[in-house]
Amino acid sequence: MTGFAALLAKATVTVYAAASLTNVFPQIDPGAHYSFGGSNTLAAQIQLGAPADVFASANMTLPQQLFQKGLCTQPVVFTRNTLVLIVPKSNPAAIHSVYDLQKPGVKLDVAAVGVPVGSYTRQILKNMGLTSVLNNVVSNETDVREVLAKVALGEADAGFVYSTDAKTVPGQVTVLRMPAWAQPKVQYGICVVKSSPNAAAARAFVARVMSKAGQAKLLAAGFLPRVKPKTVG
Amino acid sequence: MIRRALVFAATLLALAFLALPIVAIFARLSWGQLATQLSSSLVTDALVVSLKTSAIAQALVLVLGTPAAFVLASHRFRGRSLVVTLVELPIVMPPAVAGIGLLAAFGRFGLLHTGIPFTQTAVVLAVAFVSGPLYVRQAIAAFEAVDETLVAASRTLGAGPVKTFFRVVLPLARGGLGAGEALAFARGLGEFGATIMFAGSLQGVTQTLPLAVYQEFDVNFKLALTLGGLLVLISAALLLTLKWLGSSSTSAFRFAPSTSS
Repeated sequence: MTGFAALLAKATVTVYAAASLTNVFPQIDPGAHYSFGGSNTLAAQIQLGAPADVFASANMTLPQQLFQKGLCTQPVVFTRNTLVLIVPKSNPAAIHSVYDLQKPGVKLDVAAVGVPVGSYTRQILKNMGLTSVLNNVVSNETDVREVLAKVALGEADAGFVYSTDAKTVPGQVTVLRMPAWAQPKVQYGICVVKSSPNAAAARAFVARVMSKAGQAKLLAAGFLPRVKPKTVG
Repeated sequence: MIRRALVFAATLLALAFLALPIVAIFARLSWGQLATQLSSSLVTDALVVSLKTSAIAQALVLVLGTPAAFVLASHRFRGRSLVVTLVELPIVMPPAVAGIGLLAAFGRFGLLHTGIPFTQTAVVLAVAFVSGPLYVRQAIAAFEAVDETLVAASRTLGAGPVKTFFRVVLPLARGGLGAGEALAFARGLGEFGATIMFAGSLQGVTQTLPLAVYQEFDVNFKLALTLGGLLVLISAALLLTLKWLGSSSTSAFRFAPSTSS
């Protein structure tokens, strides 16, 4: 079997996944085809008939919406994450805590409201009574990796990303952790797209992500276990 | 007979393919909400940012591009074709590459260490960078087409080079310059890739109409369609202006010698 025939015989699964999964998903399954982007953009594309087999979102809302519209199977939580504030290594605006974002003229980069991380960013600021720092926003990016890139480049003074994103550019950014009490509930949902012609392969991909090996890869990349461990006592 | 039918079918298919997406935008517009949509701050802000940055960018293109085009058209020197290629390069360069290049040049840690990214100036630079070459290229051709004997006659009759440029060369090249500028304006208005990378996207500051379309794609598809329709209409108006300038320029060329005699 050569070329085209081989391609047809081996059903390659097409995975639409949140940008924050860019580094870890190919480690879990190097054979799949990936389209990484803002989960909201991916969900909109799936609604317009994009040929996705699996949808992995940085929240539960978007896959739930697709499920309710009959476009994908009931989503399950496959991992969790935390939000951090990052500043360039050179730290041009001298930001040492989230409260420094209130200083006038700080160039704060965030994701747009519709992007999961953009919505989490606004939640965490609201929880801390710091929504006024949104006046310092210089750009609303289309996915979390755009925020990461602009801070890593040093063009933006600070940005909100997932802790896992910050780990992918060691040496370029400094991570400022956010308090646990202010953290939004960042759950990642995965589902099989109903119109998928590769449903079996799609289910196998989901199983692989949920498997011990898949979960270990996620943990190694800094993601949190999919079920929050019960606190003892 | 069959061959003619095939040619006809191919033509029809090509026209239908090109017209369909444009028709679809207008077919799917929610006409009832049009007035509310068009008066929303997202749309008006994007329109103002687009028009303002385009106006400044095109003024820069005209003021700097016209002398550059004239020099390139009227002088033959070593490496001229290299310079012309350099001018034309941004036309074929992917906008994302233009965005990276602008960041590498004008970024805070770029060659020039400026604070331009994320400002309206960044939008102006992105638009000028991708659209300017279209004007300069057309302007070189327009200046080269000016009859040299008319220029020589003007000089013989005692007009200096500056007077000759403004009274003879510029009026004769006007049609071509206008057509090039209309094309540059239309291209600049549609600029997306370089802008989002270099200037970011912030409503009322750097969010142009195409950036607003992209943002609304997954938030409010109907609003994205309305914005798309608006851009199609502006582009169509620019193209019609271009056609009109094109036809008036040929008549200018035709009548120029007789009126100057």
